[in-house]
Amino acid sequence: MAIAADRLDSTFAALADPTRRAIVARLARGDATVNELAEPFAMSLPGISKHLKVLERSGLISRTRNAQFRPCHLERMALDSAAGWIEENRRIWSERFDKLDEHLRDIRSRSDQEKGDERHG
Amino acid sequence: MAEQSAPDELVFTRIFEAPRDLVFRCMIEPEHLTHFWGPAGVSTPLESIKVDPVPGGVFETVMVNDSDGSRYPTRAIFVEVDEPERLVWTEPDSGMTTTSTLHDLGGSRTEVRIHQTHVPDPYRSPEAQAGFATSLDRFAAYLATVS
Repeated sequence: MAIAADRLDSTFAALADPTRRAIVARLARGDATVNELAEPFAMSLPGISKHLKVLERSGLISRTRNAQFRPCHLERMALDSAAGWIEENRRIWSERFDKLDEHLRDIRSRSDQEKGDERHG
Repeated sequence: MAEQSAPDELVFTRIFEAPRDLVFRCMIEPEHLTHFWGPAGVSTPLESIKVDPVPGGVFETVMVNDSDGSRYPTRAIFVEVDEPERLVWTEPDSGMTTTSTLHDLGGSRTEVRIHQTHVPDPYRSPEAQAGFATSLDRFAAYLATVS
């Protein structure tokens, strides 16, 4: 559980940077080499490589070890688990508040009934 | 208006047909919490709820899965208690902080806004915060359109 939470923290940290988000968005369309990834950015190859290392450490991307140009690959599971945290918590609050709404209705109908009883009693 | 939120932030809003004082009490009194704290299919037994609504006080529950009996203990500490407007608690195990803000809309209607964040402390610097411009929800939706 702690390991999963740490991994999630590093995923969120990796996605906090706009350049890294753009790299992830590019990789969602398919694998790409460092050169291809650097093209749309006014950034040096070492600069891009630094971002790729952060993404790699977070588990969001992987790179082939032996191919000549070491293309980068998006690890969808890591991205999904980050999106999943938000979805899961949204669901919990939504269901919790459905129940609270029902509980508040119960309180109101009980107090209406008591008022009715007073009038008729 | 769309709110800007960090990739790991959750903002959730709901309007209740009840006065603000009552809604606030529902969020801190075990007798109320037991009725709604667990999501669908999950109960929160009254005896498992400990609430000490002062800064530094505990907020503990045990949620029990109705179908298989598995138990999920939760443990939080209150950071701010400003009745009947604002509640902030933090879960020491995960670092998740939840802020509840209650707005009196008049006519016995109350808007509750939940703001939940999981940002670990090292990323709370202004530079890191500036980077948190796009919510992951919207980002994931965008990814779905390009892939």
